[in-house]
Amino acid sequence: MKVNVDLSLMDMPGQLIRALEPISANNGNVIGVIHDHEAIVGGRITVNVTFEVHSDLALENILATWKENDVIMIKMDAVFESYPLQYLLVGDISSKEIESLTHGMESMEGLASMDIRITGSLTSGSRAAMVTGRVTRHGSLETVEQFFRQHADNGGYMLIRGLE
Amino acid sequence: MDVFIAGFGVVGQGITEVIRDKQELFIKHFGEKVRIVGAFDTKSLALDPSGLDPDELLKRKDSLGKVGKDEVSDDIVKLLQDTEYDLLLEVTPTNIKDGGAGYMHIHTALSAGRHVATSNKGPLALKFRELTELAERNRVHLRYEASVGGAMPVINLSRELLMGEEIASMRGILNGTCNFILHRMKEERFSFQFALREAQELGYAETDPSYDIDGIDSACKLAILANAIFDRDVTYADVSRTGIRGISEEAVALAAEHKQVIRLIGEVSKEKLEVAPRLVPAGHPLSIGGTLNIAQLLTDLAGDVTVVGRGAGRMETASALLSDILAILKNGETRRDAKR
Ligand SMILES: NC(=O)c1ccc[n+]([C@@H]2O[C@H](COP(=O)([O-])OP(=O)(O)OC[C@H]3O[C@@H](n4cnc5c(N)ncnc54)[C@H](OP(=O)(O)O)[C@@H]3O)[C@@H](O)[C@H]2O)c1
Repeated sequence: MKVNVDLSLMDMPGQLIRALEPISANNGNVIGVIHDHEAIVGGRITVNVTFEVHSDLALENILATWKENDVIMIKMDAVFESYPLQYLLVGDISSKEIESLTHGMESMEGLASMDIRITGSLTSGSRAAMVTGRVTRHGSLETVEQFFRQHADNGGYMLIRGLE
Repeated sequence: MDVFIAGFGVVGQGITEVIRDKQELFIKHFGEKVRIVGAFDTKSLALDPSGLDPDELLKRKDSLGKVGKDEVSDDIVKLLQDTEYDLLLEVTPTNIKDGGAGYMHIHTALSAGRHVATSNKGPLALKFRELTELAERNRVHLRYEASVGGAMPVINLSRELLMGEEIASMRGILNGTCNFILHRMKEERFSFQFALREAQELGYAETDPSYDIDGIDSACKLAILANAIFDRDVTYADVSRTGIRGISEEAVALAAEHKQVIRLIGEVSKEKLEVAPRLVPAGHPLSIGGTLNIAQLLTDLAGDVTVVGRGAGRMETASALLSDILAILKNGETRRDAKR
């Protein structure tokens, strides 16, 4: 999980290192630090840090250490990475099938967003549907692909995948 | 070096012209000529241990439809075993049921201790390991650059120039006919049937186009690449394959709305082996149009390495065969050397 925080530190040498140490001590990775020396308020400065941690427990430990060390956390956001998915379905695709795809996708864990655009008339037996979206875990892409493959096999239409 | 040519069609005639025209190059780099000492097609045989005149072979084929004056022997195996030559250029038609005559020619030549260079996909897409092991046992070279991607030098590039790289995967367009059809469907908003007819009229597609459009040709080439570059042991039947017949105008237009094109992509790695239509972002190297072939290799040190070239044609395929002839001249002992 990626985390972004605004930290308020005493404007003294060594304070930034003190703030970053608990991250590496908990096997986290510092991705970015934005340090604003201009904005000193009451002897404190604000530093924006983005880092990656592997578990909720690690994050809790980091937060606890900051509290002990007089590093004040002003704001915290979780930044989720997401991965794009893209499928083009071609052939005889019924409205019922589209509905079943939509429901199936919506109930899927890790789906961040999804959009389906359909062209072609229902009666022609030749429609095309573009499915685009994002998932929050890379591993989910495989589950999504299996889901679409199975639907295409059962429904007898063609599935065209993105390149990844 | 003495060569024997099996098959005298588009590629056989192309390589004959190239051998005729490149004598100076052979002499300059290797100090020897390359002579054609034998050639046969379905109807005839030309044989002369002191060397045949390439122009005469080409002229006879053009005017009489036969490469030689003699009847072709019933016992090709004996012919390929007993004639003196160093290298067999195997350029008969691809047969993907059992490898056909091409398999028999290659097997016989390798067993008799002759090098082989071929553009024939069938024997390699079906019996790659058997043939490469046979070549190794007999300490001769079996080379097949021309069997995949015509003038696009993907095999020799991967095995020789990129020898030190770990190649994780290869993705590419291996069939110019399909690429032409998909390109025209997008650019001209043609239906699949219309674009196919155009490809047939221009001579890019056969009257029976299934070999191309059902992805069989691409699957054969992918199997050869999987064996040659990824050290796998597969045949063309192991390739998961979807062709381009089902692609509609709606699909192409919808992809275009999303700034994507549809391309028939072959993908191979240690785990993957698939030919299927894929969505490719416009502007991506694999979105290339026309009849070109392209392969993108993902390597550990050099990153992406992309190679593009004309995938078929008389001179393009002959150019790939020439690169194999040169490699054999460079690395291989000819029979005459061995006898010295
Ligand atoms: N053309 C290309 O651009 C290209 C590109 C890459 C790879 N290839 C491969 O290269 C090979 C040759 O292609 P091509 O275009 O030259 O084919 P082609 O024009 O059809 O010529 C095939 C030649 O093989 C001869 N032949 C057929 N069966 C034979 C047999 N049993 N024994 C001896 N000769 C036989 C034919 O004899 P007749 O003349 O008497 O009919 C003809 O001369 C094929 O395997 C093809 O897949 C071709």
